[in-house]
Amino acid sequence: MSVNNIITNDTERCNFALIGLYEVDDPEVGLNVVDLGLIYQLDFDSEEKNLDAQITLTTQFCPMGESITSNITQALSNAFPDWKINVNLTFDPPWDFSKISPEGREFLGH
Amino acid sequence: MFSPLIGGLQKTTDYRVVLPFYFYAAISFLVANILLLLHTNITDVNYFNPYTLAITHAMALGWGTMIIFGASHQLLPVLVEGKLDSNTLAYLTFSFAAIGIPILIYGFYVFNTGYILQAGATLINVAVIFYLINVFSSSFKSKKRNVHAWYIVAATLWLFSTTFFGLLLVFNFTQNILPQNSVSYLSIHAHLGLIGWFLLMVIGVGSRLIPMFLISKYTNDKVLWIIFILINTSLISFIIFKTLQLNTYFYYFSIVMSLIAIILFANHCKKAHKIRIRKNVDEQMKTSLISVLQMILPIVVLIIILSILPNHHQDKIVLLYGFCILFGWITAIILGMTFKTLPFIVWNKVYHKKAHAGKTPAPKELFSEKIYHLMLLIYLIGFIAFIVGIIFTNQLIVKIGAAALLIAAILYVINTSKVFLHKPQKI
Repeated sequence: MSVNNIITNDTERCNFALIGLYEVDDPEVGLNVVDLGLIYQLDFDSEEKNLDAQITLTTQFCPMGESITSNITQALSNAFPDWKINVNLTFDPPWDFSKISPEGREFLGH
Repeated sequence: MFSPLIGGLQKTTDYRVVLPFYFYAAISFLVANILLLLHTNITDVNYFNPYTLAITHAMALGWGTMIIFGASHQLLPVLVEGKLDSNTLAYLTFSFAAIGIPILIYGFYVFNTGYILQAGATLINVAVIFYLINVFSSSFKSKKRNVHAWYIVAATLWLFSTTFFGLLLVFNFTQNILPQNSVSYLSIHAHLGLIGWFLLMVIGVGSRLIPMFLISKYTNDKVLWIIFILINTSLISFIIFKTLQLNTYFYYFSIVMSLIAIILFANHCKKAHKIRIRKNVDEQMKTSLISVLQMILPIVVLIIILSILPNHHQDKIVLLYGFCILFGWITAIILGMTFKTLPFIVWNKVYHKKAHAGKTPAPKELFSEKIYHLMLLIYLIGFIAFIVGIIFTNQLIVKIGAAALLIAAILYVINTSKVFLHKPQKI
């Protein structure tokens, strides 16, 4: 299953998580992390109350990476306050243009 | 509950390490432009005079080097793919440089070739040694060193060569420690700094930052290595030719090496720009890209000096050459990159853990775009007027140029202060 190109096992909870994630911007680009395609996967384990998030950055050397990842973690934690949040940063596959949503592409001038 | 993040997350340098360098550089830029306006008659005399030396060192050390120190402490993790090894060494670098630079400038201004210049030069060398240790320990602690890391390592070694040679030149004023008088070695000292330190550093940092800010996936390490070899060959060959006092024609070899390197770098930036994902390029990036083209201007001036002009006209053109580099290329890239990097550092400080809680101002909203545009316009007017004034030996035009540059410096200080003093806005 996928929601906005994000692979997930729970579309309902994923949609709820997206409300908070749309508020997290990449400060350099000025675009939210969802439309920018930085969220790869959200896996929910409702029994263990465990949320595993696979995210990426536009570049591995992004100096704002620490800020972006901590804000994504915080947004997910706000959405699921009593859950354990595991945010894993991956560069496989590396982020590219194809990950950006149509709205994001329009924002970037395409 | 949070878990630690997995993956190669870049560690950010503490803002307290970086911001003092930016603040100091802004004040130095202002001071250098005040001195330039007060002493515009330097364009009519030989370049080896107290005021030209004071202004040159205020620009090269107080402005260019201090801002590169600041930016490189921030960007070192990005360049070496590790973390800054020591904040303490960074503070020591700042402290010694911050005291040494004004002493050196004052020493030149009053032309005290004794203990004042010696004290200033010694303190600056201590600062550079601390910086060198920090760059080396940060770079060599990293598991692998990419091409950008080698640029910063080599540039830092050239910086130390520049300041150490400068120290020898200062002592050579009063004690004969070199075979000839200090004036004979000025061009070697200047090019160690301009080519070895500034050019290598700007290309090493720019080749990583420009694609990053344009969100471009373009990279070509092979070309960057060729540029690295060309610049180092150019500088080493120049030092050898100059030391052996060979015919002027030999210098063309060094100039052509540097010219090819700059053209290759400009082409590298052009390719990164062409395949950029972010189509709407902001003004700061445009300024930085234009400054890449400005690199070619001093080389053209240098070729004029060597090939066209008779010896008695060379003083003026040497001044023009130095002006095009310090007030042209280096200043333009700093004007652009300051408002690309400084707002991020302050934004990170203020909004680091608040961005999830609602819309925060974008980093570019921390300074005034209007003041930035005005500053650029006035800077360009000043830069061009000053060059025209030197060429036509017209003091009025030189004065107008210097006044415009001072206004641009004031606007720069106002706008950077706006960023420094930014308070968190209610979310």
